[in-house]
Amino acid sequence: MGLLRYTVARLIQAIPVLIGITVITFILANLAPGDPVRLMLQGQQVDQEVIERVEQQYGLDRPIHERYVTYMANLLQGDLGHSIQRDRPVTDLVVQRAGPTLMLVVSAYAFALITAIPLGILAATRRNEPADHISRIVALLGVSTPSFWIGIMLILVFAIQLGVLPSSGLVYPWWGPDHYGYSGYPELLYQTIRHLLLPMVALGTLQMATLMRVERTQMIESLQGEYVKLARAYGVPERTILRKHAFQVAQLPIITIVGLNLSTALGGAVLIEYVFNINGLGRLLLEAIIGLDYQLIMGITVVIGTMFVIGVIITDISYAYIDPRVTYGDRE
Amino acid sequence: MAEPLLRVENLKTQFFTDAGTVRAVDGISFEVHEGEIVGLVGESGAGKSVASMSLLRLIESPGEIVGGEITYKGETIFGLEEGPDGDLQRRDDMLSNEEMRTRIRGNEIAVIFQDPMESLNPVFTVGGQLREFIELNRDLAKREAKREAIRMLREVGIPDPEQRYEEYPHQFSGGMRQRVLIAMALACEPSLIIADEPTTALDVTVEGQIIELVDDLQEKYGTSFIWVTHDMGVVAEICDRVNVMYLGEIVEQAPVDDLFHATKHPYTNALLNSMPRPDRTVEELDPIEGVMPEAISPPSGCRFHPRCPDAREVCQRVHPEAKVVDQADGHSHRAACVKHDVFDAGYDESVPLEAEPQVTAGTPGGGEDR
Amino acid sequence: MAIGESQLDGDGGPSEDVEAQFGWRYTFGKVMQDTTARWGLYVVAFVLFVSAYTMVDSNLSRLTFGAVSDFAMAEALPIFDHPERIPPPGEIEGNVPPAFHVDGTLSHPLGTDPDGRDYFTRIVYGAQVSVSVGIVSTLIGFVGGTIVGAVSGFYGGRVDDVLMRLVETVYAIPPLILIIVFTVFISGGTPDITYAIIGVGITFIPVFARIIRSEVLSVREMDYIEAAKASGVKNRNIIRRHVIPNSFAPVLVYATLQIGVTILIVAGLSFLGFGAQPPTPDWGQMLNVSHGYMHSNVWLSIWPGMAILVTIMGFNLFGDGLQDALDPRTND
Repeated sequence: MGLLRYTVARLIQAIPVLIGITVITFILANLAPGDPVRLMLQGQQVDQEVIERVEQQYGLDRPIHERYVTYMANLLQGDLGHSIQRDRPVTDLVVQRAGPTLMLVVSAYAFALITAIPLGILAATRRNEPADHISRIVALLGVSTPSFWIGIMLILVFAIQLGVLPSSGLVYPWWGPDHYGYSGYPELLYQTIRHLLLPMVALGTLQMATLMRVERTQMIESLQGEYVKLARAYGVPERTILRKHAFQVAQLPIITIVGLNLSTALGGAVLIEYVFNINGLGRLLLEAIIGLDYQLIMGITVVIGTMFVIGVIITDISYAYIDPRVTYGDRE
Repeated sequence: MAEPLLRVENLKTQFFTDAGTVRAVDGISFEVHEGEIVGLVGESGAGKSVASMSLLRLIESPGEIVGGEITYKGETIFGLEEGPDGDLQRRDDMLSNEEMRTRIRGNEIAVIFQDPMESLNPVFTVGGQLREFIELNRDLAKREAKREAIRMLREVGIPDPEQRYEEYPHQFSGGMRQRVLIAMALACEPSLIIADEPTTALDVTVEGQIIELVDDLQEKYGTSFIWVTHDMGVVAEICDRVNVMYLGEIVEQAPVDDLFHATKHPYTNALLNSMPRPDRTVEELDPIEGVMPEAISPPSGCRFHPRCPDAREVCQRVHPEAKVVDQADGHSHRAACVKHDVFDAGYDESVPLEAEPQVTAGTPGGGEDR
Repeated sequence: MAIGESQLDGDGGPSEDVEAQFGWRYTFGKVMQDTTARWGLYVVAFVLFVSAYTMVDSNLSRLTFGAVSDFAMAEALPIFDHPERIPPPGEIEGNVPPAFHVDGTLSHPLGTDPDGRDYFTRIVYGAQVSVSVGIVSTLIGFVGGTIVGAVSGFYGGRVDDVLMRLVETVYAIPPLILIIVFTVFISGGTPDITYAIIGVGITFIPVFARIIRSEVLSVREMDYIEAAKASGVKNRNIIRRHVIPNSFAPVLVYATLQIGVTILIVAGLSFLGFGAQPPTPDWGQMLNVSHGYMHSNVWLSIWPGMAILVTIMGFNLFGDGLQDALDPRTND
C-alpha cells in the first residue's frame, strides 16, 4: 500500500538528519576551548600522568575524525558512551530518564490539542464576536508568557496558596502502586494525574496558544472553501459541514505544526523539569552540563534530537493518513 | 403557457460593504419552464453568480436579498410584504431556512460549480462525497446510495466507476471532476440544475464533451437548467432562451435564435462581435471598449452608455427598464435600450456622444450585419 | 505586497531607495491602522524608551548592580525624585514586600530583593538587558542567515543542497538545548550573557537562512537579475545589490517576531543559570533567584515574569501587525 511505502521512504529520509545530529553534537563537544580533561577535573590539581591516562582512556589523544568513527560505531550498538560524573553507561541513564520527559511532553500535547481545537473552531465560527476576542487574547498571552513562569505561577497558586496540587516530582505509573505505597491502580492513576497536572499545563500553554491560532485561521479558510459552498448547496446541515467537511481539511496544517513545535516542547521540557523537579532528560542534561560530563551531554542531545525526528515522522505519517494527496502524490 | 417551474421577479441582492452598498443584482426578472435550458450571460462581475446563488438563498454576509420574489413550483423561496408598521417583512408563506435546506437545496434545485478542482473535498473519496449527497437528498440507505452513485458515475461517462468510486479527487482530471459534479447534480434528481460556468475552467475539447454530455442527459432526464456563462459560443450550443446581464440588470432577454439573429441591445451585439468565429479573422474581432464599471457606483442613465457605440445624450439621463420589443414563437423578446421605439425617450433626436464607435459596431437597430 | 511590488516594478537601480521609502511609509500607515498592532508598537516603544533611559542614567545602574553597601552612596534619581526611596546607610532591608502590602512602603513600590535592592529599579533596568540581548542576538542570526540564505538560494545546486541539509539538521535539535550546549561549550564551562547572545544568534542563523533562501529563489527568477547577469555584473555584487534588498521585507517581519522569541529563550537560559549572571538584573536571572523564595516572597517571582510577558506581547502584537500589513492577501 501507498501508506506503507511512504512510511519506509520517510524513515530512510531521516537517516542523514540523524547522522547530522551526531556530527553537530560531536563538533560542539570538541569546540570547547582548552583541555577537556582539565575542564572535567574542574581545576583539581593532578599529575600530567593522570591527565594523559584519562585522555587515553577516552581516546582523546586521537584525531577528531577517528574519535567520531569510534563514537558512531559504538552508537550503532546502542552504546552512547560513559558518564564520568556518575560512572555509569550513558545509555542506561538516558533510557531511565526518557520516560518522564516523554510523559510530560505527550500529556502537554494532549492538553494543548484538547483545548485548542474546540476553542479555535468556536473562534472561527463566532468570528469577531466576544468568544473570538477572548480566544485571541488567550492565544496572545499564551505565546507571550514564558512557560517556566507559568509553572512558577501555577505552583504559587495551586501548591503554595491553595495547597491542592503537588509542586514537585511526578508519579510514574510504570513503577506500579506498590513502589509508592498506594492502595492500588485507581490511586496510582489519580496520583499520576495530580502530579502531572501543573507541569502539563505549564508546558502545554504555549502549544495550545499556537495551535488555537492556527485552528482558527484554518477553519475560517476551510469554511470559505468551494467544497463547503457545494455541501451547503446540497442541503448538508451546517453542523455536519463544520464537523466533517470543513474540519478534516483544517486539521492538516495542525498536524504539521504539532510536529514542528515538538522541538519547542522538548526544549521547554528542560525548563519545566527544572521548575517542577522532574527527573527527566532535561534535568539530567542540566546536571551533566554543570558537571561538564561530555559524553552524557552528547548522548542526551543525540537522543532528544532523535525523539524530535521520530515525532516529525509520526506526524508526517498521520498527515499522509488524512490527506490522500501525499501518498498518491504524483498520480494524475 | 403553463405555469413556469421557477419565476424570478424584480430580484435585488445587495452587499453591504465598508465602501458602500454593492447592488450586485438589481431588479432582474426571468422565468424557467420545465425542460428548458435558460442562459444567464454576461462579463465577470455582472452579477450572474450572485443571482444564481440567490435562487438557493445562499448569499453570505455581508450580502443579502433585499427585494423581489422567487417562486419555485408554486412555493415561495423569497418574498416580502408590507408589515403592519409599513416596513417590508418576510412573507409568511416563505420557506424557512430548514425547509430550504431539506426540501429545496439538492433535491429540487442542484448546483454545478465553476471550479471542479476546488469544489470537491480533497480529503474524502469521490464516491463518499457523491453517496453523502444522494443519501441526504433521496432518503436512500447507504448501500442503495452507493449503488446509485456508481450508476451515476457510469452515466456521466466515467470509466471503471466501481474502482473510481474509491478514489480521491486529486486522482481525477479536471474534466472527470466536472463529470463527477454533474453526476452529483443529476443523482439528487432535481427539477432544476444551476450550472455556474461549469466549463470555464476546462480545456476547449473537454468543454465540448461536457456540453454534449449535459445536452444528452438533459434530454433523458428532462431536467431544467440555468446555465451561467460568459461565453456566447456555449450559449448558442446549449441554451433555449437567454438572459443577458450587465451590471446587475438583465439588458436583453430572448429565445436563443432571436438573440443571435435579431439582436436588440448594443451590449449583446458587442458581446457577439467580440466572440471569435470561424468565418472571421482575428483582425475582425471587435473587443468591447473599456471595462465594466463597479456595481458600487453604476453610471447614470443606461449603465452601458459609457461603453456603448450607439450612446447618445439621452442615454446618460434615461434609465431603461427592459421592455418587450418583439415577439417570436410565443416568446417575447425584451431589451433595455432606449433606441427602440417603445421607449419613446427621444433617442432619434438626441445628440450622439463622443468616442465614435468602430466600423463594425451597428447602426441603430444593428447586429444584423452578418 | 507593498514593498515587494514597488521594488519589483523598478529595475533594482537607483530609484529603489525612493520606492522603498514609499513602501515603508505605506507599511507604517497600515500598521497604525490596526488597533492591536498600534498597541504593540506603543509597548515596544515604551520598553525601548525605558531601556534607553537606563543606559543613560548611571545612578540607576549603580543602584541596580550595586551590592548592598552601595546604597549608601546612591544619590537622588532624577526620575524617581523621592528622597525617601534612597535608604540611609545602615537601614537597608531585604525582602520588603510591595507597596500595596500591609508591611510595604511607598519608597519600594515593588518591594526589595533579598539583598535589599529596590525591585522596581531592577525590573526597570532589566528592560535594557532583555532588549539589547533580544536585538543583538536577532541581528547575529539575521546577518548570518542573510549571507547563508542568499548564497544558498542564489547559487543553488550542490552549495544549496549541503547548506539546506545542514539547516535541516540544526532544526532537529531543540533550540533551547542546542543553545545551552553551545553556550556551555564555547564558554568552557563558565556561561555568561555574552556567550548566551552569541549562542542564540548562531542558533538562529539556519532559521533566517531558510526564509531568506526561499525569498531569494523567487527573486532570482526576476528579469532584472537576468539582465544584470547578462551585462556581466559579478555574482557577489548581484547578491549584494539586487537579491538581498529585494528579499528583505518578509525577513524583517520575521525578525521582529524573532526578537520576542529570543527574549523568551534568553530569559529561559538565564533562569537556568546559563545566561546573565548576578548581579546583572536580568528578568530571567531574577526569576532564578526568586525561585528559592517562592514560599516566603511571592512577589519576587511575579514582577519579572510580568515584565517579560508585557515585553514579548509588545513584540508579538507589533510583528503580527507588520505581517498583516505586508501580507498581499490583506492588501487589495
